[in-house]
Amino acid sequence: MKPKKNWKLVVSLVICLGLFSVTTSFSETRGVTKDAIQMGMILVKTGPVAALGLPEGWGVQDTFDQINETGGIHGRKINLIWEDDQFKTPLSISAFNKLIFRDKVLSITCMGGTPQTIALFDLIDKHHVVNIPNALAEEFSKPHKPYVFVLGASYETQIELMFDYIMNDLKAKDPKIAVVYAETEFGKKGLEAARKRAEQYGIKLVSELVLNIGSVDASSQILSLKKDNVEYVVTCNLVPPIITFLKTAEKYDYWPTTFGINWSCDDMVVKACKAASKNYIGVNFVGGWEDDTPGMKRVRELARKNDRDPAKMLTSLYTMGVGTAAVLAEGMKRAGQNLTPESYKDGMETLKDFETGGIVPPVTYTPTSHAPTTVARLYRADPDKGVMIPITDWRSAKEMK
Amino acid sequence: MRSKTFRESYREDIRIFKTIWVKFWLVLFAVALLSLPLWADPYIIYMVNISGIAIIAAIGLNILTGLTGQISLGHSAFVALGAYTSAILASKMDMPFWLTIPAGGVVAAFFGILLGFPCLRLKGLYLAMATMSFGVVVEYGITHWESLTMGVRGISVPAPTIFGYTLGDPSKLFYVTVFFVTFLTLAAKNLARTRIGRAFVAIRDRDVAAEVIGINLTKYKVMAFAISSFYGGVAGGLYSYSTTYLHPENFTLLLSIEYIAMIIVGGLGSILGSIFGAVFLTAMPDIIKGFADFMGRQFIFLHGRYDEEWNIAAFGLLIMIFLIVEPTGLNGIWSRVKTSFKNWPFTY
Amino acid sequence: MTEGALYFLQLVISGIAVGSLYALVALGFVLIYKATDIMNFAHGEAMMVGAFICYALVVAGIPFLWAVLITTGIAMFFGLVTERLVLRPMIGEPQFAVVMVTIGLSIFLRSISGIIFGHDNKIFPSQLSDQTLVFKGLVLSYTHLWAMLISGLMVILFFLFFRYSRVGLAMRGVANDQDTAMLMGISVKRVFALTWGISFAIAAVAGIFLANVMVLNIAICLVAIKAFPAVILGGLESIPGAIIGGLVIGVLETLVGGYLDQTLPGVKDLTAFVVLFLVLMIRPYGLFGKKEIERV
Repeated sequence: MKPKKNWKLVVSLVICLGLFSVTTSFSETRGVTKDAIQMGMILVKTGPVAALGLPEGWGVQDTFDQINETGGIHGRKINLIWEDDQFKTPLSISAFNKLIFRDKVLSITCMGGTPQTIALFDLIDKHHVVNIPNALAEEFSKPHKPYVFVLGASYETQIELMFDYIMNDLKAKDPKIAVVYAETEFGKKGLEAARKRAEQYGIKLVSELVLNIGSVDASSQILSLKKDNVEYVVTCNLVPPIITFLKTAEKYDYWPTTFGINWSCDDMVVKACKAASKNYIGVNFVGGWEDDTPGMKRVRELARKNDRDPAKMLTSLYTMGVGTAAVLAEGMKRAGQNLTPESYKDGMETLKDFETGGIVPPVTYTPTSHAPTTVARLYRADPDKGVMIPITDWRSAKEMK
Repeated sequence: MRSKTFRESYREDIRIFKTIWVKFWLVLFAVALLSLPLWADPYIIYMVNISGIAIIAAIGLNILTGLTGQISLGHSAFVALGAYTSAILASKMDMPFWLTIPAGGVVAAFFGILLGFPCLRLKGLYLAMATMSFGVVVEYGITHWESLTMGVRGISVPAPTIFGYTLGDPSKLFYVTVFFVTFLTLAAKNLARTRIGRAFVAIRDRDVAAEVIGINLTKYKVMAFAISSFYGGVAGGLYSYSTTYLHPENFTLLLSIEYIAMIIVGGLGSILGSIFGAVFLTAMPDIIKGFADFMGRQFIFLHGRYDEEWNIAAFGLLIMIFLIVEPTGLNGIWSRVKTSFKNWPFTY
Repeated sequence: MTEGALYFLQLVISGIAVGSLYALVALGFVLIYKATDIMNFAHGEAMMVGAFICYALVVAGIPFLWAVLITTGIAMFFGLVTERLVLRPMIGEPQFAVVMVTIGLSIFLRSISGIIFGHDNKIFPSQLSDQTLVFKGLVLSYTHLWAMLISGLMVILFFLFFRYSRVGLAMRGVANDQDTAMLMGISVKRVFALTWGISFAIAAVAGIFLANVMVLNIAICLVAIKAFPAVILGGLESIPGAIIGGLVIGVLETLVGGYLDQTLPGVKDLTAFVVLFLVLMIRPYGLFGKKEIERV
């Protein structure tokens, strides 16, 4: 009995030691071969949040496909691998590890969301992953992160633009402004920005109310606002709660001018609320779907070619996806023939007032700052046409104290 | 060939390692596991880490739900409490990980006791709902106590260090996880065969009868809550170091449901079952996905048209089929397979 | 009426309106629990599927009322099939395993709906939601009014059903004691099947109402979680309890939102769970549940 056991033990130990010696070899440049570039993307594809992830991912995918059809980047085709993180941090970390170590991608774009991106900061730095996250938190560019490039005006800028619009364009005297926000990272950021801006203008916010994502009803919020005679409602929320909010307001015959940040500045709101959206104004850093600009024409063309029905998706997010991919591809092009994570980063940093033809405002990154643009645009809902119509050009917030 | 085990004493029957063979395989497994960072890629190591965390949490839940019969839908709250405790201690007070992780467990256990007392009178689904409410309240607490938890901004956790040596990398954190998993698994295995463990089982099977034979229901039920939440808290502590960043959205009811799924798929009341269930549910989505990718390569026409929701649907379907075909869980299958091997070639 | 009183009354009315939606959701839960002792975690998904089917029918050009009727029928059939395929094999298994099966079912249904109906936000094109009823400055929308009426109707119907009909009596018998019911010649299987069918039909109706006041997408199934407190509050076995539980939760939530949100942000969504916890401390079997007291 005894010797036999020892014999087995020895064999198994040998097998284990054999496994030690098996090491994975890494190619010279991660993700780049003679005729292909491996790109990764982490974005939610399934479950209740998929309505946000899918259009943006489609935008990226379609743009890369189009680039491939026209010859790729310096003769290399971009192969996009899209991982679903179900909007969970542990899953996006595992997706990141899979993309880097299994698929050996050059870089990964869209890290799934703000919490996921922050959780991945160390890994992004360690593996030199050039990326444009699909969220706009301040931490992404402050302090400077060498591999994170932020696209799109911050929530602070957007909120400031709303207040500027109320004070300077609508010339409101002593306006009654309230904030309705979701208890999320962007909601809180927006709330703080609103408080700060109100103080700068010397106004006091009438109230700050929570409207969470998934709320069945906004009656208590609307009634409270109505009781206080609030004229301007600044919201920081997603599309579905805004629709509930506007529809409930209509029910109580209450018509404040309502402002929404980029996540809720979408034609979907107008299509859903119809007349209820007549006083709705959104801020966004992407072009409006029906804009008559060369960039947006290209976006509409792209959507049509790939069977993306604009009535069935959040078009602003699709546009954002196209913009993201266009900027990423331009950086790749500028990195030249010798594409490595480092040269890719340098390529991105040469972007100066890069024009997308109205998809996103001109993009500039420098070696010391990857901060996003400070400009955005205001849109007003047009219930008859069912779209958001731009009412200002790209503008930046007024400097105050 | 192995013969059937013949036990002469009760002591022999409750031995942790029943035969020399069990020990042998365990040693082999341990060697393979400990050498993992040397031959596996970081992706696998990361998956093993999160499986390990899930194992601890699942064992904890299994002590409460499987052994003692108290259904809890609030386990994510204890994981959250542990995670936030260790994150706060590590980031604001620079405490080392070997203090913060147990501290997370202790804080969670404290809240477990707090929850245990009012829940004494509740049973079955009412208890499930009460614990669920507790989970919601904790989630509200970590979202709103911003000075402490940073609220929805999330809190970053510094990499753990020991003697000036950083363990942030998954392959190093791996050993920390393995240590805690091994230690807590052995502790749970031991617990199950002590007076406490038998008291738990007695309460599960018939609480009135248990009380009649001299088991103090209050004491043991609260104890079950405390131990279970301690495990949850330790799992949370490891979780915080493994994801490096905590956000209230990570600890919702869905996480509790996931843990419940683990222990049911694995096998209620069995430590081994918790391990099976945790590993299975962590790895399953990946296996399904790998299979789908493989099929996608075989059938090119599927390319690009494939909807990832099928993976999740397959996952749900698998859970259903499992329970319908094998309600005792993976542990049941395991022991059947084992028995049939043991008895081969005689079926009985 | 002073402004403060009007505000209060309007909040109460809005609360009742939302509460009646919760009540409708809770009703389906209770029905299944009452007859089969199972907490159906896939109830939210049943609602969602019902709403999606009705949406598809309305978009296809079928008048709203007909669409609702057809949806109810389909949902009922769907419930029967679910029971046959998923729950029948689980008869006699531990309660907890059965609950877990419904969790598996919920994951499955959610993904399948995502595949079939897509992930986009849909707007329910119905005649209900546009108009409102205004009475002395108090506003109530027709959607909510209908929800209230239907909840009320359901209570009466079920009361009569359980009291006087043969099947209803059989269901009560099964709920009370399966073995004895079987000995009395009641087909437990048939009763189970029927319960699931009816419950899915109610779920579909609730789903349609929710789709009218919210945006229709996959996330609508999460409303079911918000109805849990209503179910427990009323007591798991009581049908009037579900309705009252739903209304109480709705009113409390709206009142808390209307008065306390300024001081404690976000407390509105917490209300239901705190109330639930407190009620369970005092009455561990809900307000109207079967008394099975645990003494320690």
